[in-house]
Amino acid sequence: MEKEHAVWDEVTQMMGDKRIALGRYLAYWFERTPRRALYYSSYYKFAAKMIGRNKRVLDVGCSEGLGTWLLAAECGFARGIDPDEEAIGVAKGNWPEQKVEFLCADFLKSPPGQWDGVVSFDVIEHILPENASRFLENTAANLTPHGVAVVGTPNLSGQVYASEVAKAGHINVYSAERLEAELHRYFTHVFMFGANDEVVHTGFAPMAHYLIAVGCKKLK
Amino acid sequence: MKEKTSGERELWSKVTSMLGSRKKVLGRHWSYNLLSDPKRLGFVLSRYKFAAKMTGRQKRVLELGCSEGIGTPILAEFAVSYTGVDMDSSAIATAKENWEHDKWKFVEADFMGQRYGTFDSIISLDVIEHIHLEFEPLFFDTVRQNLGEDGICLVGTPNVTSAPYASVGSQRGHVNLYDAGRLETAMRTVFHNVFMFGINDEIVHTGYAPMTHYLMALGCNKRAGGN
Repeated sequence: MEKEHAVWDEVTQMMGDKRIALGRYLAYWFERTPRRALYYSSYYKFAAKMIGRNKRVLDVGCSEGLGTWLLAAECGFARGIDPDEEAIGVAKGNWPEQKVEFLCADFLKSPPGQWDGVVSFDVIEHILPENASRFLENTAANLTPHGVAVVGTPNLSGQVYASEVAKAGHINVYSAERLEAELHRYFTHVFMFGANDEVVHTGFAPMAHYLIAVGCKKLK
Repeated sequence: MKEKTSGERELWSKVTSMLGSRKKVLGRHWSYNLLSDPKRLGFVLSRYKFAAKMTGRQKRVLELGCSEGIGTPILAEFAVSYTGVDMDSSAIATAKENWEHDKWKFVEADFMGQRYGTFDSIISLDVIEHIHLEFEPLFFDTVRQNLGEDGICLVGTPNVTSAPYASVGSQRGHVNLYDAGRLETAMRTVFHNVFMFGINDEIVHTGYAPMTHYLMALGCNKRAGGN
């Protein structure tokens, strides 16, 4: 096995010696529901593919930045924004690269930028219904005229199965119809997808575990 | 026992009577497909379902290259109108025979450069690979001419990377196969926003494009000019 070991060492050397830290959010996931990392990555990959390459992307509610990094790697540049200081600290520590940056801030109180893509996963269900329209308005305001918004949130019909922790935070859970209708107030085109585990699809909406809306051609 | 059996039979005949008694006969293309490669029906219908989902409800739909109208009921199910165009006369005859409906229309014609109205959604599956490269601009111009300002368009075509596995018949007809990059670039001549999907069997996905069997490009946010 000596020769094999030498080859393996060589491979290991090629990877460098960088270490990624998991903060309290990701560590909790990995301990409690490790499969969650799969579908979380899958949503971000879908967003990255919808937005395309050589784009600048804003990731709203980026938490520890795992998805922001994926967006940066696929699209070219990404900024993650989250009001949670500790999560942003973990993200900054993990990803010092130039194509990604993190900001501890409140999205609704930040002056809008001009992004090719604005992504938010698992955010809108935590925003009080009376503030949700401001959230979507601000999402559109942060986009270039041809920018693309991707909004992901758990489906209302799946809430009966949600964990106590999830339920405690969910104050504004959407059905596909409501999510589509609310996005249509800001975008001409809204394409609705569902996701069950990692699989993004266009199947019967009430049985989709998670909803992903893609909006573009923002209304003036 | 006997009484129970007749009860079930009676129940079943009630169910059957609810179905009506209309029958349909597939044309030569789909009869051939069902005989030679029956699984094809599944993935072709899956492409249509995706097209219908992206189109949404209450839209005016135009299909360029509708053949026998195998996708018509799916595309037209939630549409306000459906127009299918194809230059294959026997295919159009089959479509007209099978899908008689006051909101559905079939036109036998070479659609290139023609205008059929203003539509909200234009679907063209398995067409562009049969059009010589020199006519590609005319194809996309036809899309542009028939599409409303806020219309969407879905173009589907086999990936060039799958060509070595295609049947002899398919290879013969495919004079202009695309990879994902070229399809996206072509769609961008008409649209600001182009979303690329892949499909392997019935599964629509956004995976690594060169390993995608079939490509689907969704365009929207039409560029100004050209009309």
